[in-house]
Amino acid sequence: MAQPVAEPDRLVYTPEEILDSGSYEEPLIAGGVRCHGGFDAEGQYRSPRTIHRAPAILAWKAQLAREGHDLIEIDRALMPPQYPSVEQGALLLRNGVRDPIARSLTIISIVEGFGAIIREVAVPDLGEVVVEPTEGTALAHLRGGLFEAHARDESGYREEGGHKQMWEAARDLALESPKIPGDVLMRMMGRSGQRKKAKRPYPQLDEKLERMLQMMAQVLVVEVFAEGTFAWGVELLSNPEVSAEPEAAGNMVRYVQADENPHVEYLRTALSEVRARTLRTVDGGTIPGRTVVDGLLHRILHNMIHSRPEEQRSDLRENLAEAMKVASNPKALLEEFDSLDRVWTPPDRTGFEPVTAA
Amino acid sequence: MDLLTRVYRSFEIFWLSARLWLLYKPEELARRWLRLPEASEARINGKHARAADWILACAFRLRGVIIKMCQAVATRSDMFPPEFVDKLKACHDAIPPKPWDLVKTTVERELGKPIDAVFTEFEHTPIASASLAQVHAAKLVDGREVAVKVQYPDIEQIVRTDLANMRRACIVYEWFDKEPLELLPLLTELTTHLGYELDFEREADSAERVRELFSDNEHVVVPAVHREWSTKRLLVMEKVEGMKITDVDAIKACGIDPEDVLQDLMDSYVRMILAAGFFQADPHPGNLMVTPERKLILLDFGLSKELPEGYGLGLFELMFSLMTLNEAAMIRAFQELGFETKTGDTDTFLILSRRMLARSDTGTFEGEFTEEMTDELFDAIRENPVVRVPSDFVLVGRVFSFLSGIAHTLGGRANVLAAMGAGPPG
Repeated sequence: MAQPVAEPDRLVYTPEEILDSGSYEEPLIAGGVRCHGGFDAEGQYRSPRTIHRAPAILAWKAQLAREGHDLIEIDRALMPPQYPSVEQGALLLRNGVRDPIARSLTIISIVEGFGAIIREVAVPDLGEVVVEPTEGTALAHLRGGLFEAHARDESGYREEGGHKQMWEAARDLALESPKIPGDVLMRMMGRSGQRKKAKRPYPQLDEKLERMLQMMAQVLVVEVFAEGTFAWGVELLSNPEVSAEPEAAGNMVRYVQADENPHVEYLRTALSEVRARTLRTVDGGTIPGRTVVDGLLHRILHNMIHSRPEEQRSDLRENLAEAMKVASNPKALLEEFDSLDRVWTPPDRTGFEPVTAA
Repeated sequence: MDLLTRVYRSFEIFWLSARLWLLYKPEELARRWLRLPEASEARINGKHARAADWILACAFRLRGVIIKMCQAVATRSDMFPPEFVDKLKACHDAIPPKPWDLVKTTVERELGKPIDAVFTEFEHTPIASASLAQVHAAKLVDGREVAVKVQYPDIEQIVRTDLANMRRACIVYEWFDKEPLELLPLLTELTTHLGYELDFEREADSAERVRELFSDNEHVVVPAVHREWSTKRLLVMEKVEGMKITDVDAIKACGIDPEDVLQDLMDSYVRMILAAGFFQADPHPGNLMVTPERKLILLDFGLSKELPEGYGLGLFELMFSLMTLNEAAMIRAFQELGFETKTGDTDTFLILSRRMLARSDTGTFEGEFTEEMTDELFDAIRENPVVRVPSDFVLVGRVFSFLSGIAHTLGGRANVLAAMGAGPPG
């Protein structure tokens, strides 16, 4: 059976290698759906497409360290807490209020699936937009399998389900295939559906490069913050008091969590590589990669830590009282639910603040 | 409608049916008895083209339901040969209007008072005319400008007569043909849709529902209905003006990027169909306009459709699995949406899925891809008659087919996943 291939000095891989899953002793089947990944002879779960991808990421990180550059580190204190919390979620489920949790889990599954959009990100000719060479880096492998592997992990591919189907399976196992609230898609699309064109933060850059870096920074932050969602999912769905299949449902989220690790790692490595380089501007000048990457991360983190908690809260509370009507004493339940609220204050600094001249 | 007219319409329908039968069947039977090889594809296609010409000519003579039937056939590339689909598309174009005297009589009958008591101005030449009604510009006594949709007199009776004639013709056709095209289900579907379209009170309700859905979206306009002057056969709406959505030059001249218009259009329909499960099901270019301020105007809610609960999510799953090349998810989505095979197995779905996915090595999320996939699906279904397509899906497919046509004209590409609310991955 194929195992991850450790080749610490190897820095160049073909797309086929990056996408290679090797073989498994036993496939992962969730809720009757064949999913990606599988188990080795010892029954250990191994994520898909990691035979070469995992050692490749380690090698690119080591190369970056050898060159004396640091790796991007997002402070986990910036991660807003999940709403409802595990305690609040369990309280709802214990009282038969399933709609809000079924809705949340369905939305998580859809958002995971949307991850496939990363394969659509256009990668510019790096030789034209980056001053220093990029051969043998994660950056050089984005179009060479990394984005495609990420997309396949999230939405599934061909006959295999991905994270979308795995979250659905976790939901259906824990909540015994609940009825999906009819407003899920309306919630996702936002009621008005208005989309505004954002102003370009770095118009001096090649537009394709700017879009790619923006997307990567945004995805990195979402992936890091998703760690909180995974911890929430594992704890809530593994709770035998509220989950019909605590072991299977909890494990399913753990497998997704394990699969996400390469995403965080390749994105922070590639962005760190950009940070260690110089970017060309369209007018023939240059700009330090660090200025651009840190600027983007600061903007995204600042927006997300201030907007996400309120969005999650208003989304859940929109019809919480209505959903609670199935409980024997909705009023008391709402009071107990609110008493479990934790106050969270976003940190003052993101750690990527623009450096101002003294 | 007098007896003579009824007899004339019945005769026309049966004469058309007889000519069609004579065009195809005698040669087919002769070849079978004489053990001759089957006619060549080119010969059969030539017959299809002649048949489509005859049907079209009859439709323009009789109008009424036969026009609607032709419009329905023109949207069913899953059932009918391309010769029919292409030729009968002509029925989507403007129909000659009815004379003013007839319109005035109808308006006054519906209002229950003289036309001057409600309108200070009423344009005699209609803005648009279609198979069941025509629309005139007018001004209310309080000065507000309105568009008045007037149902043709006797159209309900004409519809009833035509439907009965066509049902008889279909039954006779199915007696004589061992492997008939399934026309009766199409006719039943058409009967339902015609019922919707002839009820202007229902249309007013539908318009108000969609208007409410987009009430806080500054990019979408649904004209308000003046309920006090509207009846089952007369619809008085706020008059809105804009450019035809396919008038690319005019749109560009206003400084609007046609791609933005296309994305607004895609956003609106994805929201109506997938999220709200209720949609205006007739998005041909005559029913869509754009204002110089880049507002999308939705018109004509006669054919609006409510989808069964959960159907939007099922459609979402199908579209999503198509766009992410996930054949296992696609098979589940086919089943959840009510597609059926005669044997109840899933092999046919697998064939369909693989065929559709074979069109692309990598997923892409843009409008053209969706159009190709929709066409591919309907082609695959037509060639594989064991599959039954749910009528709700057909209507949605028809909508996306119209939208794809508009996308081509606008020369842009809409991001369907963005319209679905896709952000960065998790």
